[in-house]
Amino acid sequence: MAHPRSLLAPLGRITAPSIASARPSLPRLAALPLYQTSIRCKTTKAPDARKRKARKHYLQSDLRKADQFSLVDAMHYIRAFEVGRGATSSKYEMHVRFRTLKNGPSVRNRLRLPHPVKTDLRICVIAPPDSKAAADARAAGASLVGEEEIFAKIKEGQIEFDRCLCHMDSLQKMNKAALGRVLGPKGLMPSTKTGTVVTNVGAAVKSMVGASEYRERDAVVRLAVGQLGFTPEEMQTNIKAFMETLKKDIARLNGTPKEIHEVVLSSTNAPGFTLNGEFKGADSVSARVLSGPL
Amino acid sequence: MVNIIKRMRKLRELLWIRNGPGAIQLPKEVTKISVEFHKKLIGSQHRGARHFWHDILPRIKYRNPALPISVTRHADPAGPAYLHIFTAQPTPQTAAIPPSSTPQPTSSTPEATANDTPTHTIEIKDFHESEILEALVEKTGAVVLTTPPEEATEMAEIEEFKERAEVDRVEVREKLMKVRREEELLKLARGEISAAS
Repeated sequence: MAHPRSLLAPLGRITAPSIASARPSLPRLAALPLYQTSIRCKTTKAPDARKRKARKHYLQSDLRKADQFSLVDAMHYIRAFEVGRGATSSKYEMHVRFRTLKNGPSVRNRLRLPHPVKTDLRICVIAPPDSKAAADARAAGASLVGEEEIFAKIKEGQIEFDRCLCHMDSLQKMNKAALGRVLGPKGLMPSTKTGTVVTNVGAAVKSMVGASEYRERDAVVRLAVGQLGFTPEEMQTNIKAFMETLKKDIARLNGTPKEIHEVVLSSTNAPGFTLNGEFKGADSVSARVLSGPL
Repeated sequence: MVNIIKRMRKLRELLWIRNGPGAIQLPKEVTKISVEFHKKLIGSQHRGARHFWHDILPRIKYRNPALPISVTRHADPAGPAYLHIFTAQPTPQTAAIPPSSTPQPTSSTPEATANDTPTHTIEIKDFHESEILEALVEKTGAVVLTTPPEEATEMAEIEEFKERAEVDRVEVREKLMKVRREEELLKLARGEISAAS
């Protein structure tokens, strides 16, 4: 006769799945309040801090199992999600994920999309108000130009602009005014590193008016690439332009290992669709259908 | 970036926009639909209209991607709630095609010149969203699309998964609360915190 324990062990294994399968037959709690908030429960104990090695890379998921969409398919869904919204108020967004080091240099640049998304950008230029540079900046479309009065305004917390440029000659004055505390967290502080301290103010403002800025945060670059009213062709040119500039930016980092991992197209009110790089799938609707008004 | 598992689950649930109430194929003569209602759910007179916009219009838009659909939300609680259906009048071919065949129609609205008075106007105050949909189908003679069986089973699976998730959530919550309560009692017994707090 076998030892009773040898019987117990398989029994234990049999009962486990039967419990699991019996779960749906539990009294259905259909009347549960909808506001039932989810709670997080740590099931595994964190390993010993000394033993665990810190990861140097961002975690990457396997995209082979992921659902991927062609551009037209994604736009088809997104336009359905955005039904009833304004053609200019909702935006298409791109999220580009990199395979990269956590502590490496990050991508940061500006580009002018072939079809600009936002045109009403307010630009502030820090330059002596009666100089030639200030006149240039005003002519190019800057909304705020000056020195002391702008510093005073910023210190009071009145920030009525989305971008800030600084003329090379005013840099010292600006640094003395100690605006970093106010502008720094907003990413508006002009510095040579970001290319916002310039000598030719007029040209810089001009290139900025139709341009959008992007930067890599936690291995992801996010950028608004189109208005909801754009046609698939317009979106395609915009996305191509963006991806090409990104590749150039990566090449400029001089051999830092960085590759594009995933490209996601999303919008203001729609979920994110991973793109597979195709313009059109086998059974997607024609691009012309998506070109009409919303 | 949102966790990929979350994103993929959301995409799996995309089936809702393909099937269900509102998966209808409108005839070619319909050139535009517009809905008008109040912004807020005050007095719930406009509740059906708003739910129609949120739940049913995406499905209609998905099945009829070339059809312009507009939603106007006004700020007057006593204001009207209408569903306007625009159709091409005597010659359906000539008027129905321009909005979809013009190459660069983003800036212009060609259908506005074709006809700017709605053919049908339905008062949708106090209507349930399903009633609004019924009225729309009846007025336009739209074809209601059936859910393919494999998609129906998948949707049922998702539904079941969600139900089970809700049950599990309650279970886990109870367990967690129990553990917390015990810890609290232990602390109290050890005198680390005063009984008053």
